[in-house]
Amino acid sequence: MAKKRAIGAVAALALGILFATGGAQAADTVRVSSKLDAESGLLGTMILQVLEANGIPTENKVQLGPTKIVRSALLAGEIDIYPEYTGNGAFFFNIDSDPAWKNARAGYEKVRQLDQEKNNIVWLKPAPANNTWAIALRRDVASPNKLSTMEDFARWVKDGGKAKIAASAEFVESPAALPSFQSTYGFTLKPEQILVLAGGDTAATIRAAAEGTSGVNTAMVYGTDGAIAALDLAVMQDTKGAQMVYEPAPTVRAAVLEKNPKIREVLDPVFASLDTETLRSLNAKISVEGQDPKQVATTYLKSKGFLK
Amino acid sequence: MAAPRPTILHNRVALLLAAAVAAAALTLPFLSFAPNRLLSGRGIPLAGALAGVVDAPWGWAALLPGAVILAVPFLRPSRAVSAVYSAAGVLFAAGLVWLAGAHAAHLAATSAPAARTSFGAGFWVMEAAALLAAMDGVRRLGLPPAWRIAVGGATAALVAAQLAAGHLDQLSILKEYANQRDVFAAAVLRHGLLVAGALVPTLLIGVPLGVLANRSFHVRRLVFPVLNVIQTIPSIALFGLLMAPLSALAGALPGLGISGVGPVPAVIALTFYSLLPIVRNTVEGLDGVPPAVREAARGMGMTRRQVFLKVEVPLALPVFLSGLRITLVQAVGLAAVAALIGAGGLGAIMFQGLFANALDLVLLGAVPVILLAVAVDAALKLAVSLAVSLTGRRAA
Repeated sequence: MAKKRAIGAVAALALGILFATGGAQAADTVRVSSKLDAESGLLGTMILQVLEANGIPTENKVQLGPTKIVRSALLAGEIDIYPEYTGNGAFFFNIDSDPAWKNARAGYEKVRQLDQEKNNIVWLKPAPANNTWAIALRRDVASPNKLSTMEDFARWVKDGGKAKIAASAEFVESPAALPSFQSTYGFTLKPEQILVLAGGDTAATIRAAAEGTSGVNTAMVYGTDGAIAALDLAVMQDTKGAQMVYEPAPTVRAAVLEKNPKIREVLDPVFASLDTETLRSLNAKISVEGQDPKQVATTYLKSKGFLK
Repeated sequence: MAAPRPTILHNRVALLLAAAVAAAALTLPFLSFAPNRLLSGRGIPLAGALAGVVDAPWGWAALLPGAVILAVPFLRPSRAVSAVYSAAGVLFAAGLVWLAGAHAAHLAATSAPAARTSFGAGFWVMEAAALLAAMDGVRRLGLPPAWRIAVGGATAALVAAQLAAGHLDQLSILKEYANQRDVFAAAVLRHGLLVAGALVPTLLIGVPLGVLANRSFHVRRLVFPVLNVIQTIPSIALFGLLMAPLSALAGALPGLGISGVGPVPAVIALTFYSLLPIVRNTVEGLDGVPPAVREAARGMGMTRRQVFLKVEVPLALPVFLSGLRITLVQAVGLAAVAALIGAGGLGAIMFQGLFANALDLVLLGAVPVILLAVAVDAALKLAVSLAVSLTGRRAA
């Protein structure tokens, strides 16, 4: 019996040591997190730096894991704030057929209300930057054919334009992605015009288009991808709103916001300043030039006067 | 110790390595130079890298040991040749790294800051051949395994010196490191803690379970099928499966610090995977104790407890340590996947690289994992050989 107790004590001690390193937290620090991708990391870092600069003590949990992990950590109260995309509300609340998601304002209002009522999570002001799925062409194809909107692109494809797109399997198959573009704008890409890349990352699809891999001249992109301009691609405007709107906004636990009402006050102007072009150029500094995200965040925040 | 040396066979090994070095040097790109982090690079052959190093006119000397590796298959084997071969392997491995660093610095001085220089296929093939040559030399000298660790350590020290001197700073993987500097040491530490955190419960559960299974046929028949099935569950699935029950538990007992994400489910999943090799090798080690030895010990008047502690444990130790080696190496690798459930560690760096399509960032996470696994493997192999020599003496 005594032996068993000793073993239990050793196990408890070992686990204690492990979690003392990871789980230690003062009661008043705001635990700032983000997903793994570069843009999320940048936005998380900005939140962290702005809160720190305004005298709100923080704990850095940036780039914690994929969406599912970070979202459940917020719901479980293991983190306090992280940037999330408005359109993801469609999947959090399982109502992806609702037309509200295709409108920036309506989508934000919907997710704000639902999350407040059901989970006591507050959505702060979103950045006016839509990180949704889009189609981009090599500029040396888009310019001569005068293609700038999805309507132009559809007309060009119907007239026999030789588009070949690199995309993820999800983009090709998910009804909300390419099929939605095709039905909204009335065009069809033949199977031989689609190159499915297994990994399905936009960094890979953009690279394929930029380097013309296997004759690819069109790429699946996200609206705020940094590589688009750097690698000389032109994004086709989604004039008819075929895609859901994904604007990044800080999501914060209501209890934490109540304790630190200043969070809203200091983050709202920062996110309001991040339009699509700004976010693209900041993302490019990280993903294309390989600059340190912390440095990129600091430089931007200082240039806008959010940091001294 | 020294076995008779089969001259033709060892020549074949050296010949294969020499052929690999020659082919890689002539046909594969030594480095890859890209205008930025995202685009694919253009290959730079070894000759090009050499010609580019204008700052150090004797830069070609870094490759001299490579000539030894090319020449050895045609030399008459002797202890001296083997010793020189081993030393040449170490120096060539370090020299290749030096050359890569020097050329990267040369390119950085003349190109945009976003440009990236990475190791090419030729570098990796020659580096691997150099290390194999170093190990082959040690083997042919008939030296004990500790020497292999020494040779590996010498290579690591030569590379570490270049790292410390900042000579490699312009290589892409170090540019990635510069961005991760704040979190890198913590990630390595967290990785080690995940493995250590899994090791404690594994030993506390696995060893008693192994002893029981050795004593009782029924326990054995129950334990192994269960552990075998656990081993076949894909790791991501197991990490994911643990999230739901642990989150529920965390909700029910909020004071315990348990949660569905982070290190707790990671340690639990790693423990599940670690149990099989530990239990299996504990059982096999104890099974391997000859019944005659056990009976002789009883005959000498030892109690059951004394037989277990003084006879069975020492004789089973080498097999047990082999199981521990498998467990630890496996856990070091599996802990990388734990990043997907927010447990941190080097896997977090690897996954960031995968998401950003930045292969050098993936390497920055993967290389320490490999080094950690190799170090653990070497240390436990050494422990096994020590245990064998100790128990061998005792048995005699």
